[in-house]
Amino acid sequence: MVFSNLAELKTFNVFAEYFIAISALYILVVIVLITYNVHGLLVQKALSECIGLTLLLTCYLILNDDLLFNGGDFECFSILGFYKSVITDYFSFFTKFIVCLFAAFYFLVIADFLKEYRLTSFEYLLILLFAILGLMLLCSSNDLLTAYLAIELLSVSSYLLAGFRKTSSYSAEAGVKYLVTGAISSAFFLFGSSFMYAYSGSINLTDFWLIISNEGWFDINTNAGLLEPLFEIGLTFVVFSLFIKLALVPFHIWSLDVYEGSPTISTFFFAIIAKLSFFVFLVRLSYITASKYYEAWQFYAIVIALFSIFIGSFGGLRQRKLKTLLAYSSVSHMGYALLAFSVGSRFGTEMLLFYLTIYMLSGLGLWFVILATRVIRKRYTDKFSKELGDLILLKRSNPALAIAFTLTMFSIAGIPPLVGFFAKMGVFLSVLHAKYYFVGLLALLCSVVSTFYYIRIIKLLYFENLLVGKLYHPLISSKTILFSIVIFSLLFLFVNPALLYLTIYKTVLCSFGGDTLA
Amino acid sequence: MFSVNVLFYFFSAVLVFSAIMVIIASHSVFSLLFLVLSFLASAILLFILECEFLALIFIVVYVGAIAVLFLFAVMMLDAKLHNLTRNVFRYLPIGFLFAFGFLVPLLYQVFSNTKGNTHFFIRSRYVNWYDLIDSTSDVEVYSQILYSYFVLQFLIGGLILLVVLIGVVYMTNTYTSNKTVDQSTYKQLSVSSKFFY
Repeated sequence: MVFSNLAELKTFNVFAEYFIAISALYILVVIVLITYNVHGLLVQKALSECIGLTLLLTCYLILNDDLLFNGGDFECFSILGFYKSVITDYFSFFTKFIVCLFAAFYFLVIADFLKEYRLTSFEYLLILLFAILGLMLLCSSNDLLTAYLAIELLSVSSYLLAGFRKTSSYSAEAGVKYLVTGAISSAFFLFGSSFMYAYSGSINLTDFWLIISNEGWFDINTNAGLLEPLFEIGLTFVVFSLFIKLALVPFHIWSLDVYEGSPTISTFFFAIIAKLSFFVFLVRLSYITASKYYEAWQFYAIVIALFSIFIGSFGGLRQRKLKTLLAYSSVSHMGYALLAFSVGSRFGTEMLLFYLTIYMLSGLGLWFVILATRVIRKRYTDKFSKELGDLILLKRSNPALAIAFTLTMFSIAGIPPLVGFFAKMGVFLSVLHAKYYFVGLLALLCSVVSTFYYIRIIKLLYFENLLVGKLYHPLISSKTILFSIVIFSLLFLFVNPALLYLTIYKTVLCSFGGDTLA
Repeated sequence: MFSVNVLFYFFSAVLVFSAIMVIIASHSVFSLLFLVLSFLASAILLFILECEFLALIFIVVYVGAIAVLFLFAVMMLDAKLHNLTRNVFRYLPIGFLFAFGFLVPLLYQVFSNTKGNTHFFIRSRYVNWYDLIDSTSDVEVYSQILYSYFVLQFLIGGLILLVVLIGVVYMTNTYTSNKTVDQSTYKQLSVSSKFFY
């Protein structure tokens, strides 16, 4: 793969991020100086919807960027800014748009549930906004240092989000566990970066690409052959640190406890919103700069993807805690995404983006139901943890919600009349396309196993042998519109997947140009 | 150049003095404060040698972070470490061993570098030739790179610190008890302690 039409301009090409950062600082000043001091109000609902609106405006900003979308003409143009440390191309635009859109939906969804989960302080939402800023910076970073700082911004926010409920020891445990794992991941990243710097004398992805592709230029250094393994070692370390963040299998053990212990709204964020950007950087790093070291990462990626799918499918079978179950589900989904990534062709990248978008979409529906089924508790101080039993016989108390939840579950499992089928099929097609038949077969078998626990939840909703289910607080009607949009798009995208697929095709074609890697 | 050398000798003396005091001070808080003083003195030595950036990093990292962290830990633990000083003579041989081990390579460096030079190192006139041509100082160079090439990264670093600040304020703030922690003056003044043992 190559950089097509690469240009370096001294332009200000982080406008969307700038907007978010300024809004966050403005919110901080206004709330601390005016709202808390003068009025002493709890503003979590209004603030959450305000941030949702801010992110929707950011989507609008991204869509109207003059640099790429000049007058509706379709031009493939990659622009480097800030001394080559930030790249602006279709890939970053698309992923930033997706992250912003889903984050906006996320903020609108959680607005009503913050009080229920006793997360009423405004710091929570502010830290979430900073985490999303980190995600967006990671999408467009073209530099190991920028990527590292973006990941740190995201993960420092994540530690706080995991340990935000001060009175709960589970939450504190989750925060500390996340902190320790995150520190190890950061150490791996920096260690690998130092090796890559030792080889190339630069931390810039474009420079890596130039050095690796133009052998002759680099032959001035007589030690080139000697130093060459250094780059592979460094790349492996950096990629592994990203795998830790993505909770892929040998590195996944933290995610189960962290997802279970942290507040449900934070778990929603970790599991759904915070995944896409890491894959974006992984694609930039592995496909573009290190395409020569194809064998160095592809083997590991395939093995780790298969392990993730296997553990994610079999680990969830006997799980009764809902959030741990969804953590296992998330592990297996990241495995499928990594499988599409490891193929190494343009088709694989398209399928990776398609899969992750659909994963975020159906995850939004899934977590909405989990937040919305608020079991009426006897005492205010009762436990917060969700179990599978909380959803028993949802059909009786709220048939519409039960139907919608069933559709979401079928989509995640990959049953045909829903778009999740196309997402999963795309991954398997890309694997077969690259002639990894055995890998495809194993992934397919594990996929069948994982369908068991998705369908078991549907069985709980409908066919449990009990007379009465649980009682729930009524749904908030304004938020059901959002949920309906999610369910509708799950159905609509099955009828017309080209809408999403063509956008992704265009994005990947434009950003990576060349045909295949190998 | 004479005055510069005087300053150098003065702060070297301060450094040696505070380094000795670290060992022989009776209370561990005192020895930590002398450790801070020795860091400051060595930072000033680096300033005199015109390694401004290294000196500033010395102050920020060692004094600002590590020594203060030690100080807090010692103060919070309130450990009764007085008994440690009793055994000083038992540990002297191993201390001398380490000191000798560090001294030998240092002296070797000094004498091997000045072997071809007619001046002995004490009498050598320190002339920085770059100063005579055209120079930007260490800090200036770093800041020019930081504020031009790495301005975005600098801003992201600031945002990370802001997030940490918000998080720490939230985590440590308890809205229920608004009592301020105050110290009793009598208790503070009635502490007696020996400087040496």
